[in-house]
Amino acid sequence: MIVLVIALLIGILIGLFIPISIPQDYSSYVAVGLLAALDSIFGALKSNLKGDFKIDIFISGFVGNTLIAMLLAYMGDMLGIPLYQAAVVAFGVRIFQNFGEMRRSILIKNKSFSKEEKNQ
Amino acid sequence: MKVKIKKPTGGQVAIAILLLVLGILMSMQIKSVRQSNELKNLEKARAIELAEQINKLREENVSLRQQIYDYEKKIKEYQDSAASISKTTELLKEELDKVKILAGLTDVEGPGIIITLDDSKIPAQPNVDPNSFLLHDSDILQVINELRAAGAEAIAINDQRVVSTTEIRCAGPTISINNTRYSAPYIIKAIGDPKILKNSLEMRGGIIDLLKEFSIGVKIEEASKVVIPRYTGSLKFNYAKIRSEGS
Repeated sequence: MIVLVIALLIGILIGLFIPISIPQDYSSYVAVGLLAALDSIFGALKSNLKGDFKIDIFISGFVGNTLIAMLLAYMGDMLGIPLYQAAVVAFGVRIFQNFGEMRRSILIKNKSFSKEEKNQ
Repeated sequence: MKVKIKKPTGGQVAIAILLLVLGILMSMQIKSVRQSNELKNLEKARAIELAEQINKLREENVSLRQQIYDYEKKIKEYQDSAASISKTTELLKEELDKVKILAGLTDVEGPGIIITLDDSKIPAQPNVDPNSFLLHDSDILQVINELRAAGAEAIAINDQRVVSTTEIRCAGPTISINNTRYSAPYIIKAIGDPKILKNSLEMRGGIIDLLKEFSIGVKIEEASKVVIPRYTGSLKFNYAKIRSEGS
């Protein structure tokens, strides 16, 4: 868990200090892509907690979801439909669901640990 | 509870790498969003600055106008003192006063009428050109023309004296008079015989009849004393010269 936080922090620092920023025109697509990536990471954290984490599923989901979300946003712009809203809603809901499951499973685990300690 | 330090599993390493990428992208995106916000603020600041400049120029304008008044007062004093010296200068001054009234360079007062014209208050209707319910430069021109024909001696529109160089011209949603833009309502003051002026405007088939057809607001008041200000711009003739008799 600590490793993950450190990795994220290092990434943010690298991004802040390299003198490249995303062009204005692509900014909205990247934002949607970021949301998709965030969703994948929450999903991975959840399955890691549950113990059924599979690396190929995670990587394909991370890359695939991000690309599809960006493509959807781009297509929406072409067609004049705010399709990125669909991505925002779908990923937003899933992030909350995953977080909820993570929270529940952590709480249940802690409870069962304390019970075991009492029993010993 | 004991904190166990576990060796990171393969999955955790993969997540960590992707988190790294995510972090880079995220901070780049944050930078770009912040930049665009700064750009917007810059535009706002520029608008505020321009508004301040306008206000400053307006104040300057007022003070300059005051200066013009002061200078003209002084000139008048000199003329008056010169007139008291001899008979010829007195006659010359009389002549000058007459010419000034003709040119519109003095405030004048006398009996006359005050006409208020306003855009139609009827809301726009389908299939009807909304332009017909608005006042146009041509409408005002016709009113002025009618007043002139009825013997008006001095005319002002929204206190802009109508002189030989005055234009009455469409300028987008406003009408430009003496290079100053005005929007409705327009208040036209004219000095002359109030009865004749009023009747000429209200004659059957005349301009007021026409305007009322489009339900444009027209109000005509007769007044025993109408004050018309002088022309405040500069009159400069660069091309027209007085023709000498012999040639």
